[in-house]
Amino acid sequence: MALSERAILKSEVRWAIVVGSVVALILGAILFAAIAMHMNPPSNQEYADPKTLHLSPEFTEANLGTTVQPNGQIVARMIATQFEFVPNCILLPADRDVTLRITSPDVIHGLLITGTNVNTMVVPGYISQVHTRLTKTGDLLMPCHEYCGLGHSQMLATVRVVPPDQFRPDAQGRAACGNRG
Amino acid sequence: MVEPSYPADAHDFASDAEELERIDSAATEAPKGAVVVSAIAVAALLVGWLLLYFWIFIPRGTVG
Repeated sequence: MALSERAILKSEVRWAIVVGSVVALILGAILFAAIAMHMNPPSNQEYADPKTLHLSPEFTEANLGTTVQPNGQIVARMIATQFEFVPNCILLPADRDVTLRITSPDVIHGLLITGTNVNTMVVPGYISQVHTRLTKTGDLLMPCHEYCGLGHSQMLATVRVVPPDQFRPDAQGRAACGNRG
Repeated sequence: MVEPSYPADAHDFASDAEELERIDSAATEAPKGAVVVSAIAVAALLVGWLLLYFWIFIPRGTVG
C-alpha cells in the first residue's frame, strides 16, 4: 500500500521540526556569540569631511597610528587612501581590547586583518570603527579588499601584534612600529 | 472523438496484480530513501556550518 495522506503529513511535520531545529540551533549560536561574546558586525555612524581630513583634529597626520588614551583605551587611527594605508604599519598589543578607526579621503576602500574577524569597508565621509581583541602575536597583513583603482593590489599594511609586556607607548601614549611605522 | 489504439500485444498494467503491487511497493519505499538522502544532506550542511563557526569564526576573536 502506498503512503497514506496521513503518513505523508506526518513525514512533512517531522521534516518541519528538523528544519526548524536546525534554524533555531544556528540562530542560537549567532545570538550566543552576539550577546555573550560581543561579536557583532562592526557598526558605526560617524561622519568626517573627506575634503578636510588632513585638517581635522582626529585624522591629522600627527595623530595617526596607535595611541593609548588617558582612560586607557587603545585606539589605532588610519587613513586608507589610493593606494596605501597611513601609517602602513600599526603596533597593537595582544589580548587587550583595541579600537580601530579608519576613514578615506578619496574612494571606497576595505580592509581585513588576516587570521582575525576584523573586516570592514572604509567609505569616504564616514569613520569606520572596529573593536577587537587580537590574540595572535606577529605581523599580520592588512590588505585593501575593495577594488580602489589601478594600484589596489599594492595597497596593504601590516598590523604588528606584540605581547602586552612589549607594548610600551611613549610619554604621549603613542606607539609605533619603529622604523617601519 | 478518436479512440486510442493500443498494439495488440500491449501489456495491461492496470489489471496486472503483481505489477500493481510493485508500483505500490515502490511508492512506499522511494520516499523513505528520499528522506534518508535529505537527512544526510542536511546533516552534512549543518556539521559543515558548525565546524566553520566553532573552529574558524569563533577562534578568530571578538569583533564589533
